[in-house]
Amino acid sequence: MRGRTPWLRRIGVLFIVLWSLVPIYWVLNISLQTDAQMSAKPAHYVPPTPSLNNYLSLLTGGGNVPYSIRQSTINIVIECSAATIVTIVLASLAAYSFARMKFRGRNVLFYTVLATMAFPPYITLIPLYRIMTFLGLVNTYTGIVLVYVSGFIPLATWILYNYMLSLPIALEESGQVDGASRMQVLWHVVLPLARPGIVSTAIITFIFGWQQFLFPLVLSSDISTEPLTVVIAALQGKHTVPYTLLSAAGVLAIVVPAVIALALNRYIVSGLLKGSVK
Amino acid sequence: MGLALIPAAFTIVQSFFTVQPLNPPTRFSGFDNFRRLFSTDAVISSIGNTGLYIVIGVVLSTVLAIFMAVTLQKNFFGRSILIAIMVLPWALPGVVEGIVWANIWNSNTGLLNSLLTSAHLIDNYQVFLGQHRLLTILAIEIVQVWQITPLSTLLIMASLQNIPNDLFEAAELDGSSPWATFRRITLPLIRPGITIAMVQALIQTLNVFDQPYILNGSATAGSSLTMQTYFISFQNLDFGEGYALSLLMAVATMVISLGVLKLVYRPVEF
Repeated sequence: MRGRTPWLRRIGVLFIVLWSLVPIYWVLNISLQTDAQMSAKPAHYVPPTPSLNNYLSLLTGGGNVPYSIRQSTINIVIECSAATIVTIVLASLAAYSFARMKFRGRNVLFYTVLATMAFPPYITLIPLYRIMTFLGLVNTYTGIVLVYVSGFIPLATWILYNYMLSLPIALEESGQVDGASRMQVLWHVVLPLARPGIVSTAIITFIFGWQQFLFPLVLSSDISTEPLTVVIAALQGKHTVPYTLLSAAGVLAIVVPAVIALALNRYIVSGLLKGSVK
Repeated sequence: MGLALIPAAFTIVQSFFTVQPLNPPTRFSGFDNFRRLFSTDAVISSIGNTGLYIVIGVVLSTVLAIFMAVTLQKNFFGRSILIAIMVLPWALPGVVEGIVWANIWNSNTGLLNSLLTSAHLIDNYQVFLGQHRLLTILAIEIVQVWQITPLSTLLIMASLQNIPNDLFEAAELDGSSPWATFRRITLPLIRPGITIAMVQALIQTLNVFDQPYILNGSATAGSSLTMQTYFISFQNLDFGEGYALSLLMAVATMVISLGVLKLVYRPVEF
């Protein structure tokens, strides 16, 4: 096949680049224009007078819209970071127990954790909302983070479990022979070895957190906890916010996951494959 | 984990109860919730819409994923950068993808209208969303396909990587055309990857929410079952009926997943 079908591959390469990047280019293009420029027919395929005004007014301007964009950016960063940290700590402990320890009910527990991955996530939406209402955790960071953690732990445990299984056991055994406790072995031997797996899992968990919309839509009731996704959706629904400004807000919400996806792509690919094959 | 299992059990039990905060107390009502679901026009039309989302989404994402995976099969200069670009849409929030594509489908200023006009394929700007049901659903589902295809591509790529290279070399020696090689060797041997890709696409499309919610609001033209669950539970405050719909969707997800598994999966040994 060498040299025989490069034209087909060229079409494929061109397709992947256009398919993935044109929509993102277009939102960037719109965000750098003024309202009047955006209304031109046919559209301006490059901004005629590129301007960062939309971004400046979101990041430094007064008024309700810029304020809610800024506050919800703080919210989404706090919620995703906290959910990622808690998920990684709990999932590492769980994955290690499942991979290396024998205890009563291990298999039942393990398959239960896996089975929860097969549930469509939204089957738990109403009950979680009512539990959080009962606990008084609606519209709190704690409530949102708890719900995220409960949703992300099964996949995180599964990825880390597969990663830890692939590590050589000999080092851990020599640690135990030297009299180290389980927790010492985990902390000094297993976790350093599993670092690439932990990085993968953390990145994937963070990106999943950043994507959440329906759960926080239900669990947040005002700007004190609403993440960026919920605020952007609300602005779009009002039809009073110009598309250029909305596009700039969209670009702000894209930057973090896009940079992570492009820069740390290797970890995402290996993590996703560890999490789904078999 | 308790936070996933207990709510699921909750959903199953309470779908047979009347649970309405404005109409207490919670009481057993048999199949009443289910009966009301099936007598609501919006729910019935959402069943059809969701069916269309599933068919369009699963077929389109699988075909595109096979095409992209085959493109990325062999090593070439820039392949790892291309994989990073390919993965990019997977990482973005569905809400923002809705905003991004709203700029493309828009009836006054959208990219598609502009391109079609510049190419003289249409004389006047067209409305893509909200008028014609099938067109609306197609336009919305393309946005979701944009998000779910990268994972499908990775899964199929992993399956491709398992095929021993001698098989392709032997086929080439025997004078097999690239198309015949693809049909006879590649496609049958990546069935496990295709199966997992289709099941993940199925779960995503059956539960589609962000994209239709952003692109079409509450208009019934493209409303999905998850949107109905949200409206019933959190706008009508009828949790019992919401539970019933969630339960039906979970059952449908499992049944159709098993169907895909039976239909597509074949064990492969090398």
